[in-house]
Order: sequence, then structure tokens, then C-alpha cells
Amino acid sequence: MTVKVGIPRALLFHEYHLLWISFFEELGAQVIISEKTNKNIIGEGIKNTVDEACIPVKLFHGHVLNIKDKVDYLFIPRINSIFKNEHICPKFCGLPEMIKNSINDLPTIIDTEINFVKSKNSLKNTIYEIGKYFSNDYKQIMSAYDKAYLKFKNSKRIIKENPFSEVNMLNNKKIMIMGHPYNLYDPYINMDSIDKIKSMGAYVLTPEMIEDQYIFDYAKKFDGRLYWTFARKLVGTALYLIDKKNIDGIIYVSTFGCGVDSVVADIVEKLIRRKSDIPFMLVTLDEHSGEAGINTRIEAFIDMVKWRDISENNISAHG
Amino acid sequence: MKITFPHMGNLYIALKAIFEELGVGVIPPPKCNKRTLELGTRYSPELMCMPFKITVGNYIESIENGADTLFMWGGCDVCRIGFYNTLQKDILKDLGYDIQMICVEPFESIQQIKNFLKKLKMVSGENNYLKFLTIFIKGIKLLNQVDEFEDLVNKIRPRQIIKGEVDKLYTKFEGEIKNVKGYKETLNIIKQNKEKLKKIEIDNNKDVLKIGIVGEIYTVVEPFINLELIKKLGDMGVEVHRSVTSSEFINEQIDFVPFIHSSKKEVHRAASPYLDTEVGGHARNTIGNTVLYSEKNFDGVIHLLPLTCMPEIVAQSILFTVEKEKNIPILKLVLDEMTGEAGYLTRIEAFVDLLKRRRESIFNEKMLSRS
Amino acid sequence: MKKCYLGVDVGSVSTNVVVMDSDENIVDTLYIRTQGKPIQAVKDGLKEIESRLDKDVEILGLGTTGSGRQLASVMLGADVVKNEITAHGIAALKCVPDVNTIIEIGGQDSKIILLRNGIIHDFAMNTVCAAGTGSFLDRQAERLNIPIQEFGSLALKSKAPVRIAGRCAVFAESDMIHKQQLGHNEEDIINGLCEALVRNYLNNLGKGKDIRAPIIFQGGVSANEGIKRAFEKILEQEIIVPKYADVMGAIGACLLAKDEVSKTGKTNFLGLDVAASDFSVKSFECENCPNMCEVVEFYRDDELVARWGDKCGRWSDVKVLSKEKLA
Repeated sequence: MTVKVGIPRALLFHEYHLLWISFFEELGAQVIISEKTNKNIIGEGIKNTVDEACIPVKLFHGHVLNIKDKVDYLFIPRINSIFKNEHICPKFCGLPEMIKNSINDLPTIIDTEINFVKSKNSLKNTIYEIGKYFSNDYKQIMSAYDKAYLKFKNSKRIIKENPFSEVNMLNNKKIMIMGHPYNLYDPYINMDSIDKIKSMGAYVLTPEMIEDQYIFDYAKKFDGRLYWTFARKLVGTALYLIDKKNIDGIIYVSTFGCGVDSVVADIVEKLIRRKSDIPFMLVTLDEHSGEAGINTRIEAFIDMVKWRDISENNISAHG
Repeated sequence: MKITFPHMGNLYIALKAIFEELGVGVIPPPKCNKRTLELGTRYSPELMCMPFKITVGNYIESIENGADTLFMWGGCDVCRIGFYNTLQKDILKDLGYDIQMICVEPFESIQQIKNFLKKLKMVSGENNYLKFLTIFIKGIKLLNQVDEFEDLVNKIRPRQIIKGEVDKLYTKFEGEIKNVKGYKETLNIIKQNKEKLKKIEIDNNKDVLKIGIVGEIYTVVEPFINLELIKKLGDMGVEVHRSVTSSEFINEQIDFVPFIHSSKKEVHRAASPYLDTEVGGHARNTIGNTVLYSEKNFDGVIHLLPLTCMPEIVAQSILFTVEKEKNIPILKLVLDEMTGEAGYLTRIEAFVDLLKRRRESIFNEKMLSRS
Repeated sequence: MKKCYLGVDVGSVSTNVVVMDSDENIVDTLYIRTQGKPIQAVKDGLKEIESRLDKDVEILGLGTTGSGRQLASVMLGADVVKNEITAHGIAALKCVPDVNTIIEIGGQDSKIILLRNGIIHDFAMNTVCAAGTGSFLDRQAERLNIPIQEFGSLALKSKAPVRIAGRCAVFAESDMIHKQQLGHNEEDIINGLCEALVRNYLNNLGKGKDIRAPIIFQGGVSANEGIKRAFEKILEQEIIVPKYADVMGAIGACLLAKDEVSKTGKTNFLGLDVAASDFSVKSFECENCPNMCEVVEFYRDDELVARWGDKCGRWSDVKVLSKEKLA
């Protein structure tokens, strides 16, 4: 009988799903992913998580509840660091504990530590630790990972080859939506923001469409240590956009109570306002956010972007 | 040069003396007050944690009093504290303050200790490393002394016969500290007051409840942030023990030095069944110390955290299990600039009542089983 | 025949109707409480306006705004359905053409809008529940048993302000009761509440924003003198409260409608007597997926005219009305 491994469709799933899914499948496991976020998942998540936690963590709990009874293993790695000298939100490091202490009757949890803060030398060990649950063959585990990684890398390239340059030639407004991947790519939590903006005739871009190397290089220009991977990525994105001036508006999607965003959104907003004239809006979501409020904000923002254009054209016509 | 630093409970006593020993002018920030918080809230990112806001307020008030150099610590962690100095530098610059900043990074390597010494050199113009070392040791000693003094205060307060006597002495002590300079004078004041404290008349037979405080360090050691929690509990006849203090924190950082002791290992061991890894901040200590308090038969534990504190949220979810398994009541208090006094007091009083009744029922059960 | 435009602003607390003539003069305004019944409020408002208007008035176009803008549009047939930020900005520019900052505080929403050279440059809306909104004051007024209309004048009498803490209305209430029990007098407490609202507003919305004069204060709460004074005190700037400060959204909607009709040359407005129609709403929970969306069906005189509420478009697509026109 095939072993079933469950992955909650939440948090870093939105960034690494291709890697994780193909790795487990290469090892012969059946991968079961929780349903797309829905009312039930969010409701159960809120009910089973400490009050003070942010909504993405509550959602993670909801997704665990959604699949825990259907699988033999749950993949909840303890993610400490995914890049050298960088950390990740403290809540990710404590995620296995949070789940174990908040939810009963769990299957076996694969809570292998992923920690590349000192170097990536431990990568092979980490892969082996995870793979061991499904195979004893070191070589098989490594080749499964290599195959999965290739798939993951290739998919990233596809995103990147849908580049700014192409969009640049079109006349539509280009709007960057930035924020944590799990806020951007979960349409339930952001209330279909991306589709809403598209339906208003604008192009939507996300930080994932910018070449990693650019983000690295631009983040280095920031005066201060960006020790969170998310911080480096988002500040790098902002500085890139400010420098290239290839965007008509920036919307930062954040969630209430997010510690990382309380810092990063502030840095990003100040940078954009001081060093550029790009319209910027911060949208803060929580479980009580009403869709009407989001619609109003997005509509007004797009109005503002378009309105600026008209006034600029007028000025040039007169001048 | 006039140097200042953020407030964190009684830490200022040691810092002030150290800088005076180095021959630097010191302007400690005014005691944290409503205005400190208001200034801090006005200029900080809205959803930033409260310690950050208070610190910003401290700096502004010190600068208004003439400070031109800021001393701060940072970069220690995966939590927000590592960003404090970057953001605060920017906020102060934006306000038009022309100041110099000295930020201390944690000692993870010899290089970082060297950097620290280099910074000290910059501040003091002093070149003798040996002198730095002696002053540093003196600072650690002062810090330990102050915290010992404070622990004694917390022990005696619930047992004093005349209510208010301990606090009168403490207020006078703070005034005296303001007027002395350097290590020796400061140490003397602490010692003198310790003696005076021991002479306060107490009721030795009083049956006092014991509550341990765990949580994020600023909220535990800074009375303004926790709305004088320890004093309030003391006045209700509760002996309070703080598991995280400035001295313990520093000792944990440098306990590779032979004469420094910290309870880090013991705390981590106690935490290990529940959390066996660092998740930033004081989360691991929160778990470990709660376990230790239960083993030491404390009546209850209060868990303090600033709103949206990332590491303590992890701790909080684990504390549910610890509370059940170790059978020790835990009260969680989340603090931010909007915390109102009334609701806060109600919760503390109710918790103390609960602990009293619990202790009585345990006592009765014992009596019954004996008879 | 006098040619006019109609603006309807359906908010959570009030529903406002404005009639403006083609020279952009305000002919009539109406401010009524929504009281949780937006359909009834729109009907009542329209009927009231109809009875007050001269018989020779012709409505050339309709604009709707506010959180109930889609609903009002479905009911009445709007030429333009605009979010309230843009509408408020347009109206403020009409009153004070060089306005740089708009402070707008309504019942459950508050906004800050920054304008530069006559265009909206930046804006923000409240993120934390009732922190800096009118309902914060309403709730405390109810608690103190003082009509909200008297709040402002009472606050002006305060000599020694009291600091009231509380991010949301509920916590502020407990702190306020605490301050009452400490014996502070009523005027000081009321003034404390006004300052708390202004402080919360500025900390939530004003952070990092360059609040430059001229500053306009509008929205339902702008009638409160105590709040105006608190803003002037904290910002150290003069605050302008325009004549029609409480119906600015509806004025903006009129202006936008006029603009739209001049472009298209026709109107979608169904006429003032549409208010006499029978409007009804039915809703059901869709069970097709775990989202369990609450789908709303809207009927005008028993005819199904719109559906909304579904995330997938399964129901709302059925009708002619496109999805983005619905809330």
C-alpha cells in the first residue's frame, strides 16, 4: 500500500509546493494536499490556534485539520533558515510545537529541521532525514531530490521568463502586488485582490517575477542588516522598482499582527515615498476584513493611478 | 559627549555607572512615563511591538535633555529586536536629530568582542583594554547586585507590616542613585539600601502566595510596560519571582566566561520535553521557567508578552500543554500601549483569588487525607 | 425645466442624498440614518427628496457611492458607481480647490486623503476596527447617556483633559468607566474621548503622512466641535469644515455623474418614482463547495435584477450585470 503524506496548503507551501510534492512522489509516496482555503478551513483554524497568532498561522492550523485524518504522515518541517545568514519568522521555527500542542490525534509529523543559517552543507543531511521516512536508499533519496529540484527550478524560470520587458511594451497600468507568498497566492485570504486588479484592466506583477539576482543586489544597497529572508526579498523588490521606475503602483498586502510586516512594510513604504513618486498602498487583512472595504481601497487606488496619468499628460500638453 | 541608552527596568543603574567609570557624561532617560509612550507611539510603525515604541520615546526624551550619543543593543535575534537599531536610526534622523549611535552586537565570536571594545574606545577615548575589562566586570557585578536587591524587595514587600514601607525605601533609593557617580558610590548605595531593606519589619509567619513571572524580557523587567505588576501583586500579599532579568540575560550571553553563572542549562533542560530548540526571544526560557516554577511548587505563573510578539506566541501555544501536564495555573497578559488599567487589575485580582482558593483546597485535601 | 444631478451615498451609518444643478450649485441635501436597512433608507431618502423638489426639476444623471454603492446602483440605475475615497476627494476639490489634506471620519470608516496639485496623491483607510471612527464616540455617548449632538460643545468646556486608553471601542469603554469611578467630571472625560479618537486616527492613518494645510475635515463626525478642536490642537493647523461636510460623498457622486453623462449623453437612472417600487432580497447558502457563500438575490417588483455574494461567479454570472459591478 502506498504511504500517504499530507502537506497543508499554507505558509511556505505557496513557495515550495513543486519541490515538496515532486520529492515525495519521486519516493513513491502519495501526496495529499489540503483543499484550497475555504470558510470551513479558516473557521477551524481560528478556533484551534492561540488568539494572538496571525491569520496565516491560524490558516496553517486549519489546513492541518483538513487533512490530518487522511494521511499517514504530515509534512511540517521546522524551518529555521532557508538562506545563509538569514532567518525566517520565529513562528515558523516553532510551528511543529504549535501544531502538536493545539491539535489532537495527529498522524506522524515529519518535523525535520531545515536550517541553513551557517551554510547549505547540511542540505544533504536534511534531505536524507526527510527521505528516510520513505526509503532506506540514500542514493534513491538524493536522486528524488535532484529531480524534484530541477522541476522546481524550471518552473521558477517559467515565471521569470514572463518578464517585465514584455509587459513594458503594453499600454496597461502595471501594478506590483508584494507581500508574503502565502498572502499573495491564497485568493481566499486576500479576497481575490489579484483578479480584482486584473479585471480593472491593469497588469499584476509579483516579486516572484523579478530575477533573484536583482533582488539580492538591490537589497545590498539597503543601509541596515536584513536578516529575515522575507525582509531581504521585499526590500530588494522595492529598491529594484524604485530604481527601474517600471511600475505604476505598488500594493503591499499584509496581515494584522504580522511581526515581520510591522517592520518590513514600514521600511518599504518609507523607501518608496522618499525615493520615488510611485503610488503606494498598504492593505492590512485580518479574519474580520470585509470584502467591501478591500474593494473600495483597490478601486480608489486604481483611480488614483489613472488620475495621475491624466494630470501628467495635461501638464505636458500645456508645457 | 553625553551618552544615553534605552530603559529596561533597573539596567540603567549599571549602565550609568559603567559609562561614568569610562569618564563619559551620562544622561539617563527620564523614567518611562505616559509621554515616553506617547512620543514612541507617534513615531513608530503602528503594529510594532511595545518595547520598540518605549525605546523610541526614551531616546527622544534623552535627546531633549541634551544627550548626543545613543548606546543600544541589537542584532541578537531572529525576532524584531535586530531591526530596532536600523529603524530607530531612521526615525531619529527623520525627526532632525543629529546624534551618534553605538550599537552593540551579541558576542558570538572574538571579532564581535573586538568590535565592542573598539566602540568603547570611540566613546571613552580610553585605550587600555585591561581597564575596559575591569569596568565591564564591574558592570556585571553591579547588575547582579541590583537584581539581587530587587529580588529582595519582591520578597519583603508582601510580608511588610506597614504597607508602603518597601516602596518608600525604593523611591528614596532611586533618588540616591541619581546623585551618585561611578562604580564604588553606586555599589555602596545598593549595599546600604539592602541593609535598610532587611531592617523593615516583616511578618515571617504570613502565608504568602508565590507567583513566577515568565515572558518577554522588556515586559517583565520594565514596570511601566507591565503597569507595575510586581508591585501590585506584592501589595496583594504575593511574593513575586522574575525568571528573566537583565542580569540573567547578560549572564546567559557570556556564561562561557569562567566566573559567570547562569541558569541557562537548567532552563533549557526543563523546557526540552516541550521545546528543544531556539525560536527566538525568550520563548524557550518561558517554557523552561514555567516547568521549573511548577517543580518548585509555585502557586501560579504569569506570562507577559507584548502584543504581536512572535516568539512568545509560539510559547503561548505550548504553555497550554504545560499548564495541563504540570497542573500549574497560568495567566497570560498581553501588553500594548492601549492596555487599560481597569481590566488589567481585574484579571490580576481574579487570578490571585483563584490561586488562594486553590491553595486552600489543596491544604484541605491534605488535612482530610491525613485524618 | 431645471436640470439637476443626483448623488446617493449609502454608508453603514447614514444614507445621504444630494441634488445639484448643472452649474454645480447644491439644490438640496438630505442626511438620514441607515439603521441597518439600506434599501429602506434609499427608498425613504429618494421619496423625501422627490417631495421637496420643485416639479420642474429633471434629473439628468445619478451617481452612487459609499459601502452600499452597488446596492443603490442596482435599485436606482446609476451612471457612475464610485468608491467613497475618490468621491470624497472630488467633492473636497470643488469646495477648496487647493486642498492638500482631507480628514474624513464617518460612522464605521475613516480615511485620510492627500492631494497635491488637485489630484489624489495618497490615501489610507482605518485598519483597526472602530479605533478612529464615529461609532467609537456613538458607543461612549450611549454609555454616558448624553446625546451625541451635545458631545462637541461639552468637550469644549473641558479644563483638565483625561487620557483614555483603548484601541477599540470596547476597551475604551472600560477605561472610561474606570475614569468615571475615579471621579473625573463629564466634560473632561468627553474631551478625553475626543482626543483619544484623534490620537487613534493619527496613529492609525496619519503615520508617515505629510499632513499639509489646507486641511478639510468632513464626514458625519466633522459636526463635532470637540474633535475639530482636538485636531487643531494636535496638528497645530487650522481645520476647515466645509458647509456640506456631512454629505461630501454624495456631492462627489453628483459631480462624477455629471461628468459621466456629459460623456455618454444618456443616463441609466430609472427615475425618481422608482423609489415606489417594491424591493426585496432573498438569500441562500450555496452548497456547491466548502466556501458556502451566501448568495443574495435582489428583486425589483418581483423581477430578479441581480445576484451577488458568490466567490466563483456561478450565480452572479447568470445575470446581465457583470461581476465587478456587484459588492
